[in-house]
Amino acid sequence: MEVSVIGNPQTRLCRAELAYRELGFRFGSVVISGESRNKVTFLSQSSNFKDLSIRCSSRSVKCEAVVSDGVPFLKSTPNSRWLASVKLFVGLPLDTVSDCNNVNHLKAITAGLKALKLLGVEGIELPIFWGVVEKEASGKYDWSGYLAVAEIVKKVGLKLHASLSFHGSKNPGIGLPDWVEKIGEAEPGVYFTDRYGQQYKECLSFAVDDVPVLDGKTPMEVCRGFCESFKSVFSDYMGNTITGITLGLGPDGELRYPSHQHDVKRSGAGEFQCYDKHMLSALKGYAESTGNPLWGLGGPHDAPAYDQQPHSSSFFSDGGSWESQYGDFFLSWYSSLLTSHADRVLSVASSAFSGIGVPLCGKLPLLHQWNKLRSQPSELTAGFYSPNGQDRYEAIVEIFAKNSCRMIIPGMDLSDEHQSPESLSSPESLLAHLKTSCKKQRVVVSGQNSSAPVPGAFERIVENLKDENAGIDLFTYQRMGALFFSPEHFHAFTVFVRNLRQFELTSDDQAAEVETKTVNIGSGSGAPSLQTA
Amino acid sequence: MSTVPIESLLHHSHLRHSSRTYRGTRSFSPCSLNLRSRFTSSNKQLVLNSSIGSATSALGFRSSNSVAVRASSSDTAVVETSQSESDDVVFKENFPVQRIDKAEGKIYVRLKQVKENDWELSVGCSIPGKWILHWGVSYVGDTGSEWDQPPEDMRPPGSFAIKDYAIETPLEKLSEGDFEVTINLNLESSVAALNFVLKDEETGAWYQHKGRDFKVPLVDDVPDNGNLIGAKKGFGAIGQLSNIPLKQEKSGAEVEKESNSSSDSTIERKGLQEFYEEMPISKRVADDNSVSVTARKCPETSKNIVSIETDLPGDVTVHWGVCKNGSKRWEIPSEPYPEETLLFKNKALRTRLQRKDDGTGSFGLFSLDGKLEGLCFVLKLNENTWLNYRGEDFYVPFLTSSSSPVETEAAQVSEHTPKTDKEVSASGFTDEIITEIRNLAIDISHHKNQKTNVKEVQENILQEIEKLAAEAYSIFRSTTPTFTEESILESEDEKPEIKISSGTGSGFEILCQGFNWESHKSGRWYLELQEKAKELASLGFTVLWLPPPTESVSPEGYMPKDLYNLNSRYGTIDELKDTVRKFHKVGIKVLGDAVLNHRCAHFKNQNGVWNLFGGRLNWDDRAVVADDPHFQGRGNKSSGDNFHAAPNIDHSQDFVRKDIKEWLCWMREEVGYDGWRLDFVRGFWGGYVKDYMDASKPYFAVGEYWDSLSYTYGEMDYNQDAHRQRIVDWINATSGAAGAFDVTTKGILHAALQKCEYWRLSDPKGKPPGVVGWWPSRAVTFIENHDTGSTQGHWRFPEGKEMQGYAYILTHPGTPAVFFDHIFSDYHSEIASLLSLRNRQKLHCRSEVNIDKSERDVYAAIIDDKVAMKIGPGHYEPPNGSKNWSVAVEGRDYKVWESS
Repeated sequence: MEVSVIGNPQTRLCRAELAYRELGFRFGSVVISGESRNKVTFLSQSSNFKDLSIRCSSRSVKCEAVVSDGVPFLKSTPNSRWLASVKLFVGLPLDTVSDCNNVNHLKAITAGLKALKLLGVEGIELPIFWGVVEKEASGKYDWSGYLAVAEIVKKVGLKLHASLSFHGSKNPGIGLPDWVEKIGEAEPGVYFTDRYGQQYKECLSFAVDDVPVLDGKTPMEVCRGFCESFKSVFSDYMGNTITGITLGLGPDGELRYPSHQHDVKRSGAGEFQCYDKHMLSALKGYAESTGNPLWGLGGPHDAPAYDQQPHSSSFFSDGGSWESQYGDFFLSWYSSLLTSHADRVLSVASSAFSGIGVPLCGKLPLLHQWNKLRSQPSELTAGFYSPNGQDRYEAIVEIFAKNSCRMIIPGMDLSDEHQSPESLSSPESLLAHLKTSCKKQRVVVSGQNSSAPVPGAFERIVENLKDENAGIDLFTYQRMGALFFSPEHFHAFTVFVRNLRQFELTSDDQAAEVETKTVNIGSGSGAPSLQTA
Repeated sequence: MSTVPIESLLHHSHLRHSSRTYRGTRSFSPCSLNLRSRFTSSNKQLVLNSSIGSATSALGFRSSNSVAVRASSSDTAVVETSQSESDDVVFKENFPVQRIDKAEGKIYVRLKQVKENDWELSVGCSIPGKWILHWGVSYVGDTGSEWDQPPEDMRPPGSFAIKDYAIETPLEKLSEGDFEVTINLNLESSVAALNFVLKDEETGAWYQHKGRDFKVPLVDDVPDNGNLIGAKKGFGAIGQLSNIPLKQEKSGAEVEKESNSSSDSTIERKGLQEFYEEMPISKRVADDNSVSVTARKCPETSKNIVSIETDLPGDVTVHWGVCKNGSKRWEIPSEPYPEETLLFKNKALRTRLQRKDDGTGSFGLFSLDGKLEGLCFVLKLNENTWLNYRGEDFYVPFLTSSSSPVETEAAQVSEHTPKTDKEVSASGFTDEIITEIRNLAIDISHHKNQKTNVKEVQENILQEIEKLAAEAYSIFRSTTPTFTEESILESEDEKPEIKISSGTGSGFEILCQGFNWESHKSGRWYLELQEKAKELASLGFTVLWLPPPTESVSPEGYMPKDLYNLNSRYGTIDELKDTVRKFHKVGIKVLGDAVLNHRCAHFKNQNGVWNLFGGRLNWDDRAVVADDPHFQGRGNKSSGDNFHAAPNIDHSQDFVRKDIKEWLCWMREEVGYDGWRLDFVRGFWGGYVKDYMDASKPYFAVGEYWDSLSYTYGEMDYNQDAHRQRIVDWINATSGAAGAFDVTTKGILHAALQKCEYWRLSDPKGKPPGVVGWWPSRAVTFIENHDTGSTQGHWRFPEGKEMQGYAYILTHPGTPAVFFDHIFSDYHSEIASLLSLRNRQKLHCRSEVNIDKSERDVYAAIIDDKVAMKIGPGHYEPPNGSKNWSVAVEGRDYKVWESS
C-alpha cells in the first residue's frame, strides 16, 4: 500500500499536520545525521518492526511518505480518509450585501475569511439575493456588492459557492425585488397563501412559474435572465473561485411550500399553502379533469391549524383523510406542483449554466418534525407525498439526477436525542432515508447544518460526514456572524475543523509515544511528569 | 531592522546578470537609502503586528521620495534617487534564521565500589552546558514510580531539594572537560534504586532515558520498565536507545525473577556489580543569523533583480527555483544563471553565494525574468544542514504595479476612502501566511531538525487565526446589537416564569456585602455577622456576600494559600458553616468570595522563588502563569491581566481547572455556599469561569472586573462604552454564567454627582450609560465595596451623596449590591425604605428604564411604569398622566415615587 500524503489540494492544513508528525518521527530517531538525506529509515515501537520510511526526493518540492503494509502510520481507515477529503465551506452572513449593494461588515468578513483560510476551510458560501441584484427594475442587475465579495474571497484564496436566492428573508430583512413587490401589491395572487388568506411574501407561488405575471415575463424567464447575467458577470470567477452554484428552490432557498409561513417554532405540522388565485384555479382544473369537481373548491377542510397538534384533527391521523382517496388526490396534486417547480428551476439553470463546469445544487428541507407519525404531516404540508407509502423523495431526487444537480441536505447537526419527545421527531432517520434515496439515483449529497445552534452539533456532523456510504464530500457550515466568531463557538469550530482535517488523533499520539522513547526531548517537559514517569 | 544593502551593492558590483541600463543622476546617498530602508522595515512590522495591516506600506511608500537601487553591468554600483517616480523595490525583507548546531556527546553512568558497602555512582556528560542532575530515590518496598528524597548523607554538597521528592545537584566540570557529579551510596540504607534525569539549564531541556527516568537499581528486584541502567538485563537497549523498538513484554525469565523476588522480602544486593554505561545525546544550540533579500524591478529590461545577503558563516548555497502562474511549485527559469550555479537534478538550481571580503557572510545577485511571480529558495550550509524560514521556503514575490494584486488594490483604494484600503493590503499579509502553510505542506524535505520551527509556524498560524477571529467577532458583535435590546427581549421571554440562572439568580436578588476591610480584626466576624441575619433578611436582602474564607497571607483573605484550609481571621470553618446555616434559615443565599486568580505559594523553588504550593492542592510551578517574571511559572501565558503580588494561577492547565472545580464543589457541599463572588476576574479568561460555574452550579455568581474608565485630561469621558464593553465581553466569555460588578455605573455616578453633571446618566441612546444599560440582567450595581470604600478608600463614592447612588441602583435594573458599612450607618432607614420599595414593586434585574430627564442638575427615570425617581438638586415631578404617583422615599437631592 502506498499512500501519498500530498497531492490532494484540498487538505492543506492536514498536510501541514503531517509534516509535523513526520518530523516527530525523524526527530525521535537518532539515525538522522550521517546518512543520506534522501532517505530516513527507522523503526518505531508502535509499528511492530514494520519498516516505516519517509522517502524524500531531493528536490524540495515533493515528498512522499511510503508506508509499508498495515502500518498504522496514519490511521488510514476508510472512514477517516473519507472524512479528511470532505470539503468544508462556511456560509457568509445573509446580509453580507445590503439591499443597497453595500458590503456589510466588510472588515469583519475580511478578517473572518482570513481566519477561515488559515484554518484550512475550503471555501465560503455566499447568499446572493434576487431582491438585491435585480432590485429596481426587471432586467436591471447590480452585482457590484457581490462582485466585491467575490473578489475578497478570491484574494484570500478561498473557493466560492454562490447561492442564488429567489426568495426574500425576514431576517435580515431582504425582500423580493422592489418591482416584484409592487406587482405583488396589485396582484396578491403571486404569493403563497394559506386558508386564512395570509400571504407569504418572501417567495412567489409555484403556480405562477410559467404565468407571465412579472411585467409580461414569467418568473422562470426572469430566473433565466438572472442566471445568465450572473454567469456573464462572474465569468472570470467561474470554475476557479466559484466552484458551485446553488439555485434557490423556494422559501429560504429550500424546495418546499412555506407550510409554516414564518414561524417554524409553531407546534403544528404547518398548513397547506394552496389558496392563492393561481393555485386554486390549478386545483380546480385538476379536479375537473379527474372527474371530482367538488374536490377542487379548496384545500382539505380538516387539516389542523398552525398551532394544533397534527394528530388533533382527522386529516393526519391514522386512517385519516390523508389516506383517503381525496387525500391522495389532493396531496398528489399539491406535491406535483413542487416537483415540477424543482424541475423547471433546475432545467432553466442547467441550460443557463451549461458548459461552465461548475456543479449546480439545490437544497431540500429536513422535515423531521412529526416524522414518527405515520402520516409524516410536516412532509405533506411542505409538498412531499407519494401514494401508497412509496418513497416521497423519489420523484424529487429523480429530477435532481436528471439535471445532474447535487442535493444539499441541511440538519446534519441534529440528533434524535436532542429533539423534544413531544415533537415525535427523528432527524437522524430522515437523513438516513434521504441519503439512501440520493444514493440510489446517484445524486451527490452535500451537507449543511441547521442554522440555529444545537447541542452536540459538531459531533453529529462528524458522524454524518464519516459515513462514506453516503459519500458526502462537501459540507457547508452555517453561518458566519457574531455568534460564529464568539470565542466559545469559534473554539469549538476550530476543534471541529481539526477533527475533520487531522485524519485521526491516534496518529498524533503515536508520534508522541515514539518521541518519549528518545534520549533527547526538548524543553517543556518538566519535573512533575518525571516524578510520575 | 533591515540590513541596509549599501555595502552589499558595492560588493555585488562585479556580478554579471544585472540590468544593462541605468538612468538619472548617479549619486550615492547613504543617508536617504538608510532612511528608506528603515521605512520599509517599519512597514513590514506594521503589517506583521496588526492583522489588519496597513495600506500605508504601499501607499506611503510610493509617494515618498524614494531611492532606487540597481546593480549595473559596469563595475560600479549605481544608486539612484528619483523624486517623482514610483520606487521599484518590490520586495525587501530581512529574514531571521536560526542555525541549529547539534553538539553530539554522551551521557555516562558509572557505578563503582569504593568499600564493601560504600559505592559511588557518577553521572556525567561530555557536552558543555549547565547541567543539573534532578534525582530522587526509591526505597525498598516502594511500589509505583514515585520518587522520594534521598537520605541526607547521600546528597552531595550543593544540592537542594525540590519539594519533597527530588534533589537537584549541579554537575561539576572535570579537568578532562566532562561534567560529572558523584553520589555516595551507602548500601546499608534501604535505598532500592536511584532515579534521575538530566537537565540543561542553558536550554531548559530535560534529558531522559527512553522517555522515562534513568533508574539505577541497587537491589535485584527493582521492576524493569525498560529504563534500568546497569541492570544485567535489558542491556541491549542502552546505547541504541530510541531506534530500537522497545518491547514492553517481559521475557519469561524476567517474570520468573520478579515473582521470585516478590516472595523474598530480604534485600537482595548480591547482584550489584560495577558498571559503566554510555548513552549518546545531542544538544541543539541555536545561532541567530539573518538573510536579507531585496528584489527590485528593473523597468527597462523588466527583469527582477534579487539580491540575497546573509551573515551565515561558511559556504552558503542557495537552492532555488522560480514560481510561475500562481503556483508555488518550483520551476527552473531559463538561462542565463548566476555564476557558480548548478542544475540540480533538473528540479532546482544551486548557486553558491560569494563570500564577502571581510568574511562576515555571503551574498549573491539573481536576475530573473520579469514575468515570473516569485523566487523560492532554501539555503544549504552543508550536506546535512538546510535552512528555511520558519519551516517554509523563503519566498520572494515579485509584485509590481501591474502584476501584484496587493498593489493594484492599494492603488485603487487610494482613490476611495482610506478606511477600506487597510482591509485590502492586509490580504498581502494573509497571502504570506497562506504561502507559508502551502509550502509547509508541499515541502517537508527541508525540515530537518526543525521540528520546533514547524511548531512555531503552527503556533503562529493558530495565533493569527485567533486574532483574526477575535477581530471578526468584535466587529460583527458591534454591528449586530446583541446587548442593547436585551432588557426588552428577555423580559418578554422570561416574564412567565422565574428562571434561575447563575448569572442572575431569580432576577429579583438584592445583594448585601457582608464585611468591610476591617472585619477580620475581631477574629470572630462570622459570629458577629450571624447575629445580624434576621435583620438583614427583614431589610429585604436575598443574597449575602461573605469574605474570602481560606487561609490567607493577608488577614483580609485575598492572598489565599491553602484553599482547603477554611480557618481564617474571620473565624473557623465551623463558625463559617454555622453562619451559612443561620442565613439559609432566614432565607438568604450566601456567596463565597473565591479568589481564583492567584494563590500564595508554600515553598520556594531552587531559585528561591515562591512558586510551589502545598496543602491538598500541592501544585508546582506549572500551575503558575509563565509571563510574570517574578514567579518563574512554567505554565502557559496568562489569559488575562496579572496581579503582581502573588503567583497567578494558570487556568489553562487541565489539572488546575480540575482541582479548582473540585474545590468549588467541595465548598458548595461542605460550607453550603450558594454561589460565588469571584475576585479579580480580569486575570483569566471568562471561558474558564464558565467552566467553573458549569461545574459548581452556583445559584448566583458575580465577578469583579475592575479596570479604569476613560478620561481625557483628567475629565471623565461621557462615552464609557469601551469600558462597559470590556465588562460585557467578560460576561459574554462566561456565556452569561456570571454577572459582573457594574464598575462603569459607579464611575459615571461619581462624575455625575460630584460635579453636578447628571446629563452623564443617559447614554446617546437614552439608556443607562453603565453595564446596566447594555446587559442589565448581568450587571451587579454597587456604589462601594471593601476596596473602594471602607478604610482603604481606593475609589470612594462622593461623600454625602451615597443615598443618591442608592436611589439610583435600588430603583434601576441590574442586581443591586449594598455595602455593609452603609447599611449600618445613618443611612439605615433610608436604605431600608428603598429596599422595601424595590421588593414591594417587584423591580428586578431586567426592569425597563425610561429616562425622563437627564440634565445638568437632575436625572429622572421611570422604571417599569410603576416607580419614578429623580436624583440631583434640580426639579422633577413625574408626569401627571393616568398614573397616580405618590412619594415613597425622599432624601437629600433624591426622591422616589411609586404609582398606586
